[in-house]
Amino acid sequence: MSMTENSMSAEYKEAITSLLFQLADDDFLYAFRGSEWLGLAPHIEEDVASSSISQDSMGHAAMFYQLLEDLGAGKADDLAHLRSAQDRSNSILIERVNGEGYYMETPNYDWAYQVVRSYFYTQAKRVKMDSLCESSYRPIAEVAIKVKMELYYHKLHWETWFKQLMSSTDVAKKKMNDAITLVMNDFGDVFSFGNLKQKIESNNLLDSEEEMKKRWLASIGPVFDALQMEVPAIPNHPVMNGRNGEHTKDLDEALLTLSEVYKLDPVAVW
Amino acid sequence: MTSLCNSEEEKLAHFMHRIETGDKIEADDWMPEEYRLTLIKLISMHGISEIMGALPEKEWVPKAPSLSRKLGIMAKVQDEMGHGQLLLRVTEDLLKPYGKNRGDLMQDLFNGDLKFHNVFHMKTTTWADAGIIGWLVDGAAIITQTNMLGASYGPYGRALQRICAEEVFHAQHGESIIMALAEGTNNQKAMIQESINYWWESLLMFFGPASKETTGSSKQDLTIKYKIRTKTNEEFRQIFFDKYIPRILSLGLTIPDSTIKFDADSKIWTYKQPDWNEFKKIIKNEGPRSQERLNLRRTSYENNAWVRDALSAVVN
Amino acid sequence: MEGVSKMTGEKTFYQEYEVFSKRTPSSTFQHQFSLLAPNEDMALILAQENFMRREPVADIWIVNRKNVRKMDAEEKMTLGRLDNKEYRTTKGYGYLKKKWRQYEQQVLDEKEILSWGGERK
Repeated sequence: MSMTENSMSAEYKEAITSLLFQLADDDFLYAFRGSEWLGLAPHIEEDVASSSISQDSMGHAAMFYQLLEDLGAGKADDLAHLRSAQDRSNSILIERVNGEGYYMETPNYDWAYQVVRSYFYTQAKRVKMDSLCESSYRPIAEVAIKVKMELYYHKLHWETWFKQLMSSTDVAKKKMNDAITLVMNDFGDVFSFGNLKQKIESNNLLDSEEEMKKRWLASIGPVFDALQMEVPAIPNHPVMNGRNGEHTKDLDEALLTLSEVYKLDPVAVW
Repeated sequence: MTSLCNSEEEKLAHFMHRIETGDKIEADDWMPEEYRLTLIKLISMHGISEIMGALPEKEWVPKAPSLSRKLGIMAKVQDEMGHGQLLLRVTEDLLKPYGKNRGDLMQDLFNGDLKFHNVFHMKTTTWADAGIIGWLVDGAAIITQTNMLGASYGPYGRALQRICAEEVFHAQHGESIIMALAEGTNNQKAMIQESINYWWESLLMFFGPASKETTGSSKQDLTIKYKIRTKTNEEFRQIFFDKYIPRILSLGLTIPDSTIKFDADSKIWTYKQPDWNEFKKIIKNEGPRSQERLNLRRTSYENNAWVRDALSAVVN
Repeated sequence: MEGVSKMTGEKTFYQEYEVFSKRTPSSTFQHQFSLLAPNEDMALILAQENFMRREPVADIWIVNRKNVRKMDAEEKMTLGRLDNKEYRTTKGYGYLKKKWRQYEQQVLDEKEILSWGGERK
């Protein structure tokens, strides 16, 4: 089945719009959190390398916002900068701060959290992009094919960090395990489609939530086996579901920062 | 040339001959201590300034006012970290005989032995500062860096080749931010003018004093003697005026120095000297944001020490 | 811990790796620069984004610097040679062009010979 904008039913458009906001907001916030790390990574070479991942992800967000703009949802920059927290669809996992402290003052960022969140998120994103390549909505399938190309590196990067820190000192293992707990506590909405689950799934936009959870577990399985670790369980019912506009104060603070200049004058050219 | 030279004088004569004939010195080659120390001082400061210089601009990375600005400034600050990487690698190889490595350079920074450029001690207040840094601070840096592309020390010249290629993007990135503001609303225009007013003195200081009489010390004589660079601090500053004053004025902005003027006969700009005592204070880490930026660098370095410790390998 | 690297048997995060890369499948490997990393897998994931952010890359090699056999100053003296080896190059056989012209034939120069790999003209 293939859909063009002309033949799109109201329900189909609602479903695709909702899905695009989830994908765009995830990557936008993920890149934003990455950009707060810029200059502060544990190693200069790593700082340079992981900034490319943040840039790639911001680039992916821009492509998804552009698809929304094409659907008449508004200007891509407005969608990224002006929407309030309750209108955002990103996962709770992605909005969480990198650690204590504002980036302009003395942030105490946690590299273990950065590695675990990034690795698990990247694997989830790969599962989604694989599935989206077969989407009934051609424009999103075309973007997914492009995004997939850059995820090979993201995956290798974060998997290398994950495996190495997990196989190192007791201090590192403790920090990594703590980070896994934190990340998995928030993982319940990563594969959720929120209130539009039925519409998104029935219109063949991508595979079902359950199917993608299985693929995600399978994708990290070999790494966990090699480390002789139990694959963590995805919570069945998220305490908060970002897909339905439920968010923490971390998102409010992030939005204040990322839109500070834009909101000085949203009609000006910056 | 004779074959192998044995005495120190012969080695030195051979070394100076190589430099004067345009040969490039490599990390493992014999070099006089004075040359090594001059290079270490110059390149370690250059490198750590890139690393510290990422911080003021980084303040505007998460805040950049559009998707494309967010992407552009991320790439730009990433390059600054990358330049730091290149230059610190060059420095680390020069430090080998002293048994020092990157960890020691970071400690030198934290305890105040390793200085960074005056401009990176300054405060940023608005998005226009991100533009002015890209446009004028990078512009100033391009002038000094391109002069050293032919430096007698090969590894430095090669690092600068990479750096200068990226600086062209940086200059245009800065110009693009400034151009949008200059053609924007009155508030946006006012924002750039305030920014130029704030940064002007720092930009003049960036090139260093005209002679060591001004501040009590200057390494420019040694760097010229060893063909690391060819021009003096004052010559750099004059080039900066040549290139940037007409451009600043063309955008309807003003220079915050009513005395500045160009003498067509001597081709020299006369201008109000910056406060060189203030300069000395700033580079002693007593500038407006020196301690905050050092603190940020130190905290992130120490917070992450467990990562480096976890992955340290045994070297044989 | 990370402040010390000179002594043998010391632990360090800062090992030196030389990075080489190819632009395209048919090009040769070129030295790019060196980086610090704790091991070669880590060096590999750092290499491209540190040195080849703006150019195509078809392949990357990582070499720990301790495995690079370098020349010292004395050994570099062995690289000198006289400029009297025209017999190794076509420069020493330049007269042939004129000779062949006497026989109304064209000399088989580099351009001609290397074109033989293509279609028969």
